[in-house]
Amino acid sequence: MDMKEKIEQLVDYIMKNCLWQFHSRAWDRKDQNAGVLTKATQILCGEAVELETPTDRCFWVDAVCLAEAYKSRYPWLAAMSKEEIKQIMQGLHERMDYLTITGSLNLELTDQHY
Amino acid sequence: MPYHEFECSKCIPERKKHAVIKGPGEDLTSALPQGYLSTIPGSISERGCAYCGAKHVIGTPMKDVIHLSHGPIGCTYDTWQTKRYISDNDNFQIKNTFATDMKEKHIIFGAEKLLKQTIIEAFKAFPAIKRMSIYQTCASALIGDDINAIAAEVMEEMPEVDIFVCNSPGFAGPSQSGGHHKINIAWLNQKVGTVEPKITSPYVINYVGEYNIQGDQHVMMDYFKRMGIQVLSTFTGNGSYDELRGMHRAHLNVLECARSAEYICNELKKRYGIPRLDIDAFGFTTLAEGLRKIGMFFGIEDRAQAIIDEETARWKPELDWYKERLRGKKVCLWPGGSKLWHWANVVHEEFGVDVVSVYTKFGHQGDMEKGISRCQEGALAIDDPNELEGLEAMDMLKPDIIFTGKRPGEVAKKVRVPYLNAHAYHNGPWKGWEGWVRFARDIYNGIYSPIHQLALLDISKDEIPTDKGFETQRMLSDRDLSEDITASTVLHQYSGKYDCLAELSGKTYPRFETDLAHAV
Amino acid sequence: MLCDVKEKTRGGCINPIFTCQPCGAQFVSIGVKDCIGIVHGGQGCVMFVRLLISQHFKESFEIASSSVHEEGAVFGAVKRVEEAVDVLLMRYPDVKVIPIISTCSTEIIGDDIDGVVNKLNAGLLKEKYPGREVHLIPIHTPSFVGSMVSGYDVAVRDFVTYFAKKTEPDGKLNLITGWVNPGDVTALKHLLAEMRIDATVLFEIENFDSPLMPYGNFVSHGDTTVEDLSGTANAIGTIALNRYEGGKAALYLEKEFGVPAILGPTPIGIRNTDTFLQNLMTLTGKPIPESLVRERGIAMDAITDVTHMFLADKKVAIYGNPDLAIGIAEFCLDLEMKPVLLLLGDDNPNYRNDPRVKALQENVDFPMEIITNADLWELEDRIRNQGLELDMIFGHSKGRYSAIENTIPMVRVGFPTYDRAGLYRHPVVGYAGAMWLVEQMANTLFTDMEYKKNKEWILNVW
Repeated sequence: MDMKEKIEQLVDYIMKNCLWQFHSRAWDRKDQNAGVLTKATQILCGEAVELETPTDRCFWVDAVCLAEAYKSRYPWLAAMSKEEIKQIMQGLHERMDYLTITGSLNLELTDQHY
Repeated sequence: MPYHEFECSKCIPERKKHAVIKGPGEDLTSALPQGYLSTIPGSISERGCAYCGAKHVIGTPMKDVIHLSHGPIGCTYDTWQTKRYISDNDNFQIKNTFATDMKEKHIIFGAEKLLKQTIIEAFKAFPAIKRMSIYQTCASALIGDDINAIAAEVMEEMPEVDIFVCNSPGFAGPSQSGGHHKINIAWLNQKVGTVEPKITSPYVINYVGEYNIQGDQHVMMDYFKRMGIQVLSTFTGNGSYDELRGMHRAHLNVLECARSAEYICNELKKRYGIPRLDIDAFGFTTLAEGLRKIGMFFGIEDRAQAIIDEETARWKPELDWYKERLRGKKVCLWPGGSKLWHWANVVHEEFGVDVVSVYTKFGHQGDMEKGISRCQEGALAIDDPNELEGLEAMDMLKPDIIFTGKRPGEVAKKVRVPYLNAHAYHNGPWKGWEGWVRFARDIYNGIYSPIHQLALLDISKDEIPTDKGFETQRMLSDRDLSEDITASTVLHQYSGKYDCLAELSGKTYPRFETDLAHAV
Repeated sequence: MLCDVKEKTRGGCINPIFTCQPCGAQFVSIGVKDCIGIVHGGQGCVMFVRLLISQHFKESFEIASSSVHEEGAVFGAVKRVEEAVDVLLMRYPDVKVIPIISTCSTEIIGDDIDGVVNKLNAGLLKEKYPGREVHLIPIHTPSFVGSMVSGYDVAVRDFVTYFAKKTEPDGKLNLITGWVNPGDVTALKHLLAEMRIDATVLFEIENFDSPLMPYGNFVSHGDTTVEDLSGTANAIGTIALNRYEGGKAALYLEKEFGVPAILGPTPIGIRNTDTFLQNLMTLTGKPIPESLVRERGIAMDAITDVTHMFLADKKVAIYGNPDLAIGIAEFCLDLEMKPVLLLLGDDNPNYRNDPRVKALQENVDFPMEIITNADLWELEDRIRNQGLELDMIFGHSKGRYSAIENTIPMVRVGFPTYDRAGLYRHPVVGYAGAMWLVEQMANTLFTDMEYKKNKEWILNVW
């Protein structure tokens, strides 16, 4: 299984099970993807996660659940080094940004108001 | 783009972009229908209006409020007693509805005087109720009555009352969704921040986008109370007017129906810094994850886990009894908005059914993004469906059951497809662990109804078995199941009561003494 | 006089008895074969009426909307009617009758639906649908006038006015039923058949109660044809059973084509059915057959079993469509009951001068109130706050909480009755309807006696 296929597995889990990636506006989606995926990467890599603000905590709870699901579903993650995990999570982040923001066909994303 | 063109809609080409079938290798950047656009006149769409989206969907579940529509009588009458949003104050808001009953002379000369008189009469008729929401309608919007001014005048004269005004006439948008938006923003601008709530726990949430259909909110409140969480307000099922004025003091907004209520969460985040956490309370694993996230957010994950363990142990054998019997059944998931994504994946995972189609009457593209992501490959996704397309889809897909509204359910009945009420539920609540089993039970009872089987027989042509006086659901559902399953002593059918809410009232909850000291 | 007729003194409405005019027009439209109406207004005006009708009949009916959105409300929306007609005609090849039903919004913005019909007739229909029979009928039903009852009346008149065409006398009778159930139409047609009267029944809605078949798709719809409607001008007479729901059409036919009209009585109860049969005899010259004497006898026998034993002196409140409410009040009096409160739920000024209302005023020997422009709060307030004691309530399902909250037994009648199964199948008119109504009353009282343990033992030996 190459990197791309692995990323697609990670994407598929998010798409089937999560809601945080689908806020209604592009700027929120950008924040959500970055917030949750950065923290999930930190958790998967055993790094400290910043929990200063309520917003941080909110990203973090989604990230914890995501990281747990990844660990239990995708054994190949365990065999990866931190660097590899960061790399694949970076790829995931880019893919998610593409699917939910830059490549999205949702015409409401750029509406300036909620 | 894998658009699906309906035969019946070939003559209205603009419909083509409103249905897609997500094929292999396709994702949201190649498979997303258009959404929330102007309805095609004469298409016999299933959409409602922006007035009903505001008044009927979001406004009226607020329980301690006189809901007054400023307009001719029909708007009020038609949106009265057609939903199952109950409340713990004896369903005041279901039983009573109020209107100015505008007549021709008011259209010509204005109806502000009538409005004021009606407001005062209504408060007089129900002296215990001191809160009111006034809803604009097409007629009062078009004649330009200043409802805000009248409401202010009455509040000046009657200081004990408080009035909320929602200007969302029926024509304000392509569907009821326009009204969801308008009332979200209006409530936020007019009422949030006008009451300072008493904080009694360090863990304070608003529960948003929850309308207490058949008691869903009561079920969820039980979990929140068991966790020691203070629910400042529910927007809006079983919600209290004054509690909803204090939404700004929550630490977290827990959002369910993002379609109808994400606006207020987004604004509360922007204006007050309250984060928004989207959860699904439908389904075992989804609800468990939702409660865990809330628990983690507050550092009380253990309390969530205790509930998850207890409820899962109690109800899983019953859920699985149904799953074994529903596996592979084809479902058309045709609700109004949010349920298409709340349910699309979890009904497949936990009931074993296959979602062959999703549709949304008033959803936006964002709802389709979620729904299409969550349903299986090959599912037909339809935006703003109409009568003929629904029939054509059922003919093409041959679903075993359809989850939709009451009237479209009657359409399905005629082509011999059993239906469950996706908006109001058959025998809900459907949220919570027990609720989810109730949903499974309702599906099972729909699909394996012996009467449904009889409906498929043509006595003039088919071979009619004459050796049977009856059949049971079990005889139908267990025919091809292995003995492991049919004789299982672990799995069993739903064992709850007809009214599963009764035991919640009067229940006592743990007092987390340490929490009280930390309440801010 | 012990019987007062009063108008509600409050300005607003708490718990309405009726919805607005477009609903009545929509209800008429579904009674016509190959007809799908277009309601010109917001989508809720259709969506909720379809839901309401569906709640009542447990069936779905097809009605379209012109889906007026913001732009239309500001700049006018007749274009959307044009588009709606075209879309309907393209996708429903059998449709030939399209009433364009206005609402409050489109009346206020002044959309010219008559003009658009002319335009479509001259343009779209000629160009795109040459040779196709299409009838576009503008029906003005602003929601701020009257109620669903007047909307029904207006729509029946407009359908008849549009189609009625004098050719040769056909010897048939026009029977305009008013807003009734399929069960009523069956009962009325049975009476006509027994009298061997050939009649045009407006509207043929027996198939609103449509089957679930092992094949095909049976969409519930009425069966009154264009020919039925155009033939109304050639009838020997018209009986409009409900003065306020079809009376206008009967009077139109009389004025325009000299077809004699009889308004009423709503044949609820034995006496009103007798009168109806006498009217049939007068107009057609056909005798009343022995079979109906016998049928009446069976009803009389059943009614006698319960009347003076159980029903006498029971105080009742009645609300709903005026002809239905008045008809039931009259029947109740024959049953020795006391209709102490009658709620007529719109502002029609004619109720006050209705001969039946006048007769009540002149003759009842107990305090009775008749409230016009009424809402259900008139009932609720009297029970809760003014000490009104009732033994029974007659009305439709929207008032169910007046009964439930105050634990007063209720007999569901009229429209809608969504909180009971299958009531649309049963008649309240004719001898069959009289018998059914009385037995419903008795059984409702019996259940209540048992539930409240109120002399329920009396039923042991009855």
